[in-house]
Amino acid sequence: MSGSRYIAAAVVVLLGLWGVGALSATTNAVGKPLPADAAPPAQQVITGLTQPATTLDFFVSVYKRPQNVDGNSWSDVLSTPLVRLDKDFNLVPAAAKSWEASKDGLTWTFHLDRSLTWSDGTPLTADDFVATFRLGADPKQAWDFAWFFSVIKGWDDAVKGTIPVGQIGVRRGADPYTLVVTTTMPAPYLPGMMLYSPPLQAKALAGVGPFYNTDPATSVSSGPYLLQEWTKDQRMVLVANPKYGGVKPSIQQVVLKFADLKTEFQAYQANEVDVAANFSPADLQVIENDPALRAQYHQGFGDFRTYYVGFDTLHQPFDNLKVRQAFSHAIDRAGLIKNVIKQQGIAAYGFLMPGFPGSQNASLQSVQMYNPALAKTLLTEAGYPDGKGFPKLELWLRSERALGQAVGNAIGAMLKQNLGIEVEVSNRETKLFMDELNGHRLQLYMVSYGMDFLDPANMLGIWLSGGRHAWVNLRFDTLVKTASSMVGDPVRRMAMFHDAETLLVTDVGFIPIYFVTPGFMWKPYLKGDALRADKIGVTAWHWPGWDGLSTLHQSVYVNQDVSKYRR
Amino acid sequence: MTSRYLVGRLAGLVVAVVTVSILAFLLMHAVPGGPFDETRSPLPPAAKANILRKYGLDQPLWVQYARYVWHALHGDFGIPYQSPTETVLALIARVWPVTLVLGAIVVSLSFTLGLTLGILGALRHSTWLDTLLTSLATLGMTVPNFVIAIWLIYIFSIRLRWLPTGGWGEARLLIMPAIAYSLQPLAVVARYTRVAVLEALAGDYVRTALAKGLHPAQVVVRHVLRNALIPIVTLLGPMIPDLFTGSIFIEFTFRIPGLGKFFVTSIFQRDYPLIMATVLLVAVLWSLTYLASDVLYVLIDPRVRLGARGR
Repeated sequence: MSGSRYIAAAVVVLLGLWGVGALSATTNAVGKPLPADAAPPAQQVITGLTQPATTLDFFVSVYKRPQNVDGNSWSDVLSTPLVRLDKDFNLVPAAAKSWEASKDGLTWTFHLDRSLTWSDGTPLTADDFVATFRLGADPKQAWDFAWFFSVIKGWDDAVKGTIPVGQIGVRRGADPYTLVVTTTMPAPYLPGMMLYSPPLQAKALAGVGPFYNTDPATSVSSGPYLLQEWTKDQRMVLVANPKYGGVKPSIQQVVLKFADLKTEFQAYQANEVDVAANFSPADLQVIENDPALRAQYHQGFGDFRTYYVGFDTLHQPFDNLKVRQAFSHAIDRAGLIKNVIKQQGIAAYGFLMPGFPGSQNASLQSVQMYNPALAKTLLTEAGYPDGKGFPKLELWLRSERALGQAVGNAIGAMLKQNLGIEVEVSNRETKLFMDELNGHRLQLYMVSYGMDFLDPANMLGIWLSGGRHAWVNLRFDTLVKTASSMVGDPVRRMAMFHDAETLLVTDVGFIPIYFVTPGFMWKPYLKGDALRADKIGVTAWHWPGWDGLSTLHQSVYVNQDVSKYRR
Repeated sequence: MTSRYLVGRLAGLVVAVVTVSILAFLLMHAVPGGPFDETRSPLPPAAKANILRKYGLDQPLWVQYARYVWHALHGDFGIPYQSPTETVLALIARVWPVTLVLGAIVVSLSFTLGLTLGILGALRHSTWLDTLLTSLATLGMTVPNFVIAIWLIYIFSIRLRWLPTGGWGEARLLIMPAIAYSLQPLAVVARYTRVAVLEALAGDYVRTALAKGLHPAQVVVRHVLRNALIPIVTLLGPMIPDLFTGSIFIEFTFRIPGLGKFFVTSIFQRDYPLIMATVLLVAVLWSLTYLASDVLYVLIDPRVRLGARGR
């Protein structure tokens, strides 16, 4: 054989080896091609820390799922909801390929993706969704999110137990792959609400019961992962689902460690977890002083959470608008951000955070702006010159950690300084606080609310009469209710929400304080489209996190830099 | 005499446990807020009523208590609201062994080291060794265990990377929690032992024994320690049930899946069945510890008789 032949043969052999090598190196255990800079498949593991949980499934319990912070969860990955949220908060089809509303806006038809199956081979059908929604409405189940689906026909009656759950407006359509949802009034936000539709399997529900996903032996998945191990109070291991019909994840194993969230940052520093949130002021100081950690810190907007001061406007002294206005002008939000809240929030002048649909924070800024002189005048006009004769107040906080307590104390100090009113700050535990709030027995409090779905109908809806706040305004009720159910005129609908929020702020139904911008940290070796800047330039671990309701898990992978960190 | 005494004491134990259970039951229901108060929005009253009915919380308190006792006597302590996939007994059977393992290590560490150091300190009274041990003990008693825990994690996990920050299931994961949790009881044991041994050393019988020509080591073991043990048992016995029910700080900080945290989480979550179970567990443990230390007196000191009335 001539030399050139040797060379040609060698090239062929080498090319062959390279081809095999390239192929085997670029797909993970479920056949997902990995990017060129990805670490080997065995390293495609993500480890997180969460509070102890009793279920992964939304319809079993919303608040007992593995959560990280402010609604960011590590759950629902054993299921495929009708729709998911991408990092720009667009609804993207998941189990439903398409959907449409009837002319009267009362009936929604979802067309399911026929290729989706459960991990036991059973097809995912409308019957699974029907069984899941019936479970949610079942009074015996006592679901902790049962209030949410009131707009579905018959839902509230079923929750009360006055009609059987079989009569709620969630049914199979013409075939097993058509789901029909009927509502009590036109609800343009219904597809958005259907983010919360991760189905349980009808067969497993009937055979094992709602907790079938707590044991790998009975667990069945229609989502991107399978349950491999669940050691109570210790850890959970999920592996990529080879039968999943949607976009398969690059990360082939997810390890969740159950622990108190206060230990998250130390575990992150010791390279035991890849992601962290929940930082104490001391942690933030450590991050601030360390350029490497600072580069891993990303400020996001979490679940669009607003902190606000509320009062009992139905009784003295806060039934007097001038008193409420005086309070609203006595609080210096800019000062709070500069001195106390720092990178953990931005000043709030309305209820809807910038980035949330319908937000008009900038244009509301003048309504309750900081003006201590005006505040004093208003209080005098209300009959309490220099705070004389004003009852001593207690500002209740809901189980706040260091930052919330500092904000509460700062507000108390501002009211004392600017109005001469004594305010004692008292941090109460959650159950007691909510019992008193929902019973309209709190005179003055600071609390927060984060959105459930991306529509002003949700955030403003909690201010309707008869909700958790002791503030009543019939015009506001009419505006929000009308706009919520308005179909076909989105511009007018949004204008009505603007009017309603303006009314809420000018009537001082509450005093907005700040919008939470929670920080997330992730190791530099985590890459992927979901972790790059979104359309408004925010690089965040977008809500709802590593969750079946989000597309976050679809693009994230571990790159080769991981070898510098993991032991 | 002894058996009659023990029967009487056990009957007292039952009375104590019943009293504690009634008090705990009334107190937990008296605290405002219930296990199913919505954390987001108010539930419709009818829906809330359904939930209360499901858990029997719609009944009058005395009915609820009677039902609880009836079921408990049949071995059914209910289902914890915070972990509805298991029973209260299964939960305790799962998490208590974790706490017991750590507790056993802490008790053996703190008592063997504490007794040894206390005796050494007393025998080398007023020397540099005694001063050193006393200062260390003072430090151990005053620095809270979670502060020690955080420093251990900072040094050995974050800086040196020798040990994981926490977890359970490997022997090396026990090192830092055992140290952090032992220091305080160790210091207490050492301090009390030193004082008790010093007092015993000053006794006439010690001088007599030495005068008879007994070897000083024999004197210490036979006379000094035996007499010093009585105050030690009285003071230190009650530390043991505490150590065997776990520390919430240690368990939280080192991610240990033990019983300690449930004492706190059950209260915050108004997890009535688990509140009752943990309270009863502590009541029984304390009663048994006091009984055990009374019995120990007899074994240590022949002058003490069980049930003997004062003359």
